[in-house]
Amino acid sequence: MHGITKFIYDSSGRPIRNSDVKILDSVSFDLRAGEVHVLVGENGAGKSTLMKILGGIIPPDRGTITLEGAAVSFTSAREARGRGIAFIHQELNLCANLDVAHNIFLGREPTRGGVLHKKELYTQARALLSSLGFELDPMVPLGRLTTAHQQIVEIAKALSYESKILIMDEPTASLSKNEIDRLFSLMKTLQARGIGIVYISHRFEELREVGDRISVLRDGRSIGTIPSHGFREDEVIQMMVGRRIDDMYPRSHRPTDDVLLAVENLRLLPAAPPLSLTVRRGEVVGISGLVGSGRTELLKTIFGARRLVSGRIVYNGRKINGWGPGRLVRAGMAYLSEDRKTEGLITAMTIRENVTLASLFRLFRFGTISQRKEYEAARKCVQELRIIARSVEQKVGTLSGGNQQRTVFAKWRVAEPRLLLLDEPTRGIDVNAKSEIYKMIDEIAAQGLAVLMVSSELPELIGMSDRIYVMRGGTLVAELTERKAMTQAGILAHILMGARD
Amino acid sequence: MRRIMHHTLKNGSAVILVLLAFVGIVLVRNFASIDNAAIIARQSAIPAIAVLGMTMVLMTGGIDLSFGFVVGLASTATGLMAKVWGLPVGLTVTATVLLGSLVGLLNGAIIQYMRVPAFIATLGTGYILYGISKLISAGNVITRLPHSLLAVGRTDLLGLPTSVFIAAGITALGWFLIHRSVFGRALSAFGFNPRAAFLSGLPTARVNVLTYVLCSSLAALAGLLLTIRVNAAQPNMGGGVFTFEIITAAIVGGTSLFGGTGSVIGSLFGVLIIKVIENCINLMNISYHLYLAVQGGIILAVIVMDKIRNRAA
Repeated sequence: MHGITKFIYDSSGRPIRNSDVKILDSVSFDLRAGEVHVLVGENGAGKSTLMKILGGIIPPDRGTITLEGAAVSFTSAREARGRGIAFIHQELNLCANLDVAHNIFLGREPTRGGVLHKKELYTQARALLSSLGFELDPMVPLGRLTTAHQQIVEIAKALSYESKILIMDEPTASLSKNEIDRLFSLMKTLQARGIGIVYISHRFEELREVGDRISVLRDGRSIGTIPSHGFREDEVIQMMVGRRIDDMYPRSHRPTDDVLLAVENLRLLPAAPPLSLTVRRGEVVGISGLVGSGRTELLKTIFGARRLVSGRIVYNGRKINGWGPGRLVRAGMAYLSEDRKTEGLITAMTIRENVTLASLFRLFRFGTISQRKEYEAARKCVQELRIIARSVEQKVGTLSGGNQQRTVFAKWRVAEPRLLLLDEPTRGIDVNAKSEIYKMIDEIAAQGLAVLMVSSELPELIGMSDRIYVMRGGTLVAELTERKAMTQAGILAHILMGARD
Repeated sequence: MRRIMHHTLKNGSAVILVLLAFVGIVLVRNFASIDNAAIIARQSAIPAIAVLGMTMVLMTGGIDLSFGFVVGLASTATGLMAKVWGLPVGLTVTATVLLGSLVGLLNGAIIQYMRVPAFIATLGTGYILYGISKLISAGNVITRLPHSLLAVGRTDLLGLPTSVFIAAGITALGWFLIHRSVFGRALSAFGFNPRAAFLSGLPTARVNVLTYVLCSSLAALAGLLLTIRVNAAQPNMGGGVFTFEIITAAIVGGTSLFGGTGSVIGSLFGVLIIKVIENCINLMNISYHLYLAVQGGIILAVIVMDKIRNRAA
């Protein structure tokens, strides 16, 4: 295979600013015909920026792109597509109300005498889909297809432009195992046709299956390119984070015997059996369970943001049934939502305004915001939690995922809580930020605060928790108190099979 | 000072105002005079009070279409209390503003606790208020109000009526409330993202209701001062046209219809822009109806610009 397509993006070592802090420094990247080139890197490493430049969505400020030996520069995504580069976004860009064929040929429908030639449209669409090995009915409205099939339609659409290069941004994020396998076999078909694929993913186990080469980006620079065949995960992680992760899960805290939160016979749903749990000062308690098992509902109920059916919640020696978030926040409770963008942060506001949001009444007297005090609080947070930003006046929406999550932590830290309810505290953030969040949680517990943490990631739950409750069907089905019992297999057995202690 | 510059540049409304004034000075006869400046100040005073309330409501992501009808109700009530019932001035003023607060409480409660969209709720209450105003006034216009009442807004101070100074004081208070108080921050947070504000422990329900209370109270005060200014109390004071004018001023001043963003200084400039345009049209002897069309044009232009700016960001 010779290099028919070659991208080079090089800024000769001088940092380039692309709106706000997404910096692409000096990156070179090339793609051969018929290869799958995997791009990995932490959030904020510059993957998306690089892909947007290659896809013509943003123009490069410096450097060159060479396509089949000739230098090119795209001013729009349309132009890039015209030259055979197609971008398959994480969020699909299709019309749910139109059928499959219309989606594939949107804006380019075959016509006869200026009128839509329906027969030809469906024939072409069917031919295209079956050439990919899928017998999808082109007349079905897109909205009725599964996400996986919608993705196939998106790929078919890209191929109908005679694309030579496909850029796929975490295409497997919302697919099941079965669907992922079909996508991979489709990718092999495409490879055989000489199509080059740039594949962005966070899932290491996939890279062995589909990748030919892996390139690592860090802080906007190329760190290296290695063959996918037989790569070592720790080697790639080290390239990504720039250091070896020896101990992801620090454990300096010691649980006390002092119960801070006691939930007694709580019913989340009328049909679910009642549940009871306790959290002590200085303790990290984990909650494991599938999505939909009632984990988030449990935290929200404790936090007063959801009605409970029956039961008693005692916090700091007082019954708090019926208290709302406002009162509980003042009493030292904090709730970190799994959905930081819609429930945790106000993305249109600055870091300064976000970090004081839960402490406005505690921090300021006479209802008057002291700008000096607020600025100092924010500066302190940015420094201590290592939030990477131009200044505390930066809008939170323009921060990377990890820095947004640090900002949410900062918000609750300023509120000086006694109990933290954490819902998926490390979702969607990179390895480096994760390890810092673990450190923060441990420090919080070491200061004598209590943490109740929901997580889907078992290693993290096992690594951080002193005790783990397992949740299923709206209630708790097991409590693991021994370190020995806290194994992935053990927890999974409780989650899936419902084994009881 | 630099912050103010930065703010106005970002806002654009100050630039528009300067450009407009420049056009007025060059093209419109009698525009550049102290007397005319005083006229513009007098005409802007009451809308400047009103726009504060609307700015806050728009910041919640809501809207108050009953605004102009509260003005009409307040006008009618002022006339009745001061002239027909012969109540003392202090009581008349207090009762009028409290009447506004009551309407705001009703609006806010319907919107917050019954989950009715602000657009619908205030359209409904607005017409109810208009009907009530018509009923209690029996269709009459009350003129020649007591001098003691007129003195509240008309007393001359340094060549300007007291209403201008009242407006200046309320604008300063409003600026503090929106930009420097915990309430203003909570209001903005609620407007941007009610869910996140609630889960941060902010008293979002109370903030939302209180905003409508403040808005209608200011509308009532505007109604009172307007009644004093024209020396006539009647239900047709204010109305839909006034609501529209105030919303235009707020939006021209950089307040977003989508909630969260709002600026008191911007809104003040918004009022001045509208009043300068009205003033020029008056001086040039062009039909008042053109003014309405121009106002519609401005609101469209500003919203389109806002969209473009959001897309660019």
